[in-house]
Amino acid sequence: MSRVAISVQGLRKSFGDKEAVAGIDLAIGAGSFAGLVGPNGAGKTTSLSMMTGLLRPDLGRIHIDGVDVWADPPAAKALIGVVPAEARLFERLSGEELLEYAGRLRGIPADESRRRAAQLLDVLDLVPDAKRLVADYSTGMRKKVALGSALIHNPSVLFLDEPLEGVDPVSADVIRRLLTRFVGTGSTVLFSSHVMELVEQVCDHVSIIDKGRIVAGGTIDEVRGGKSLHQAFIDLVGSRANDGEGLSWLGSSSG
Amino acid sequence: MVGLLVRLKLRLLRNALKSSRQARTSFILSTIAAGLVAIGLFVSLAVLRGQVAAVDLATVSFTTLAFGWLILPLLVFGLDGTLDPSTLALYPLRTRPLAVGLLAASATGAWPLANVIGLLGTTVGLARGALGLLFAVVAVVLQVLFCIVLARCVTTSLAGLLRSRRGKDFAGLLILPIFALYEAFVQIVPRLTAEGKITANSFGGIDAWMRWTPPGLAAHAIQDASTGHAATGLCRLLLLAAIIVALGWLWIRELDRALVTVDATTQAAAVRSTGLPFANRGLLGTVAARCLLYQRREPGAKIFWGLIVIIVAASSASTLLTPAYLGGLLGAAGFGAVFVAIFNADAIGMLGPAFGFDAVALRGRKSLRSYFAGMDLALAVIAVPLFTIVLFVLATVAKHPLDGFLALAVNLAGIGAGIGLSNVLAVLLPYPVEKRPGSPTPKAMDGYKGQVLGAAFCSLLGVVVLLTPMVLAVAFTGHVAGGIRMPALLLSGAVYGLGLATLGVRIAARLAEVLIPELTEVALRSRI
Repeated sequence: MSRVAISVQGLRKSFGDKEAVAGIDLAIGAGSFAGLVGPNGAGKTTSLSMMTGLLRPDLGRIHIDGVDVWADPPAAKALIGVVPAEARLFERLSGEELLEYAGRLRGIPADESRRRAAQLLDVLDLVPDAKRLVADYSTGMRKKVALGSALIHNPSVLFLDEPLEGVDPVSADVIRRLLTRFVGTGSTVLFSSHVMELVEQVCDHVSIIDKGRIVAGGTIDEVRGGKSLHQAFIDLVGSRANDGEGLSWLGSSSG
Repeated sequence: MVGLLVRLKLRLLRNALKSSRQARTSFILSTIAAGLVAIGLFVSLAVLRGQVAAVDLATVSFTTLAFGWLILPLLVFGLDGTLDPSTLALYPLRTRPLAVGLLAASATGAWPLANVIGLLGTTVGLARGALGLLFAVVAVVLQVLFCIVLARCVTTSLAGLLRSRRGKDFAGLLILPIFALYEAFVQIVPRLTAEGKITANSFGGIDAWMRWTPPGLAAHAIQDASTGHAATGLCRLLLLAAIIVALGWLWIRELDRALVTVDATTQAAAVRSTGLPFANRGLLGTVAARCLLYQRREPGAKIFWGLIVIIVAASSASTLLTPAYLGGLLGAAGFGAVFVAIFNADAIGMLGPAFGFDAVALRGRKSLRSYFAGMDLALAVIAVPLFTIVLFVLATVAKHPLDGFLALAVNLAGIGAGIGLSNVLAVLLPYPVEKRPGSPTPKAMDGYKGQVLGAAFCSLLGVVVLLTPMVLAVAFTGHVAGGIRMPALLLSGAVYGLGLATLGVRIAARLAEVLIPELTEVALRSRI
């Protein structure tokens, strides 16, 4: 494997009696496009929050490009970009202002921030809406502007939580192409998703998380073992079989 | 349809009792308030019996209620599900039965009942004889019906707008005139009444123009029937009924339109900015730029500054024209600073999930210092000129305009103390907030009352203690020549305030450096 960009060892987090993350180990190589998949409540968002220095773990160590996230948070934050599931954005800034703000917040000079913001708006197909408030953006536009904000300082590792949830196919394609281009330059992407087809399509590495534990991990081919990723996922985490036997009245042929 | 929508309204009211403790408390308090209004209004209308200005005062009461019906639904639009026609747009309903059902739903609940009971006070205060009594009952029913149809017509016409960001912003700002009126009634009217400047006769003749408004028609119809002019009274009631029918027709037309229309004003809205200001001022300038834009665009910020101005002006109003005016001026200066501290003591919780945007970028104590200093700078840029104007206006009203400098000196120190304290409290006592329908500003989530009270108490006590040296300096320099005293005090106030604010920034940054994950957790829990 190439140089490890994201290294997680024995990561644990509990909320009261509930163990959200029960000891995770991960090693993602630099230049990887990695997926973290799991059912709702499996611990994906909690894990990503701990990896990005926003949620203090109970136990475990996380290194980004060799920097210990919790021993030296400022150094780690300089290396990463984050797109959370529910975009935490400044709603009363325009898209253009938000990107410039993100750049300047990261210490990029104002002129350069504006230049990069303009380029990102162009690539993300947001130029016509650049001067509208983020509060008035659609879900897809919010995801795109959040992605732009996370990329403006050119991080070496990008974390995304459900990046394409609620996004239309055109916007999804824009995001997917930008991420593929980003990984192509040697940067690393780790993203969580429910959409197996997407993970299968773009990722070279996948980890399946269930009940706070990694139940399978490796390259896509290793994890799916000759099946589709969707089937491999169902086999690993189990399905909840309920064919709606009580709904005898439902459907055209019912009385 | 009528039964269904009335049952829906009753179910919504019952569910308020089963939801959060806060919603339950609000519902119970609102019901108690409705009961008190019913009794208070009935008694205040009943005691008008025999008074010269009885019909004028009744007209004022009827008109006030109509205004209440007009304004309040705009404020509580999201609170009453039956006010928004879009919630029913998916169902196969015809407009006319829907309109009747919505009308019945509006008439259901404690407040409509309180209106009817309260207005029936006119049967004692205004009506004479059986015919007067009959006219009073009919006039009250028509008046309440007018209020309901008026409220429905306005909310339905504005439904698309009220669902949009711009509409919610506008509705939130309505709290300012309402609060100003409330403060005027609580602080100023009682004093003027005690001084004999407001009496029942002050309302004499006020209805020369109000008698032809719908509430005026209702009140005067009772008077006419009670004084032997039943035909005139009947004409007034018929005119009122015609106005209600016309409003109802308008409402049904609006309802038809509202069911298939959305507001698109925010789709076309764009800002005119060419970039963030303070381009060469580093992180401090970046944060200050964002905060200043927020102060301009966030209605909550405008509400906050508006409330402070109203509170400061109203609190000092009773002393301004007395020999103790200086105490009132200095009190206003300190009071303003306390409220700056209280309103900003939960800066991170109020920022909400957007703090996560900053948290992933903030690196170390130095950047946190710039972060807090940037937020403080934006506050000071607004607070200093605003309080300068308010304090000099108050000093001019007190007929001692130069004493505005003394109040300003205390205020400058107070603003510094207030924002410095609020930085520290924002880190030590953060709590998540949520925006609730019907409330123009975010409120603390359930379970955080301790933090709210703690932050308010610490703000009040802290500002008072830190301002004491400055107040003493003003009190003990009365013998010094004004040309020396005023500039010296102003400079001292500004330097002292800046020192306190800087100290607050440094303490807050030191504390926040190790608490960013915990602060982020609180901010992410906010729902704004």
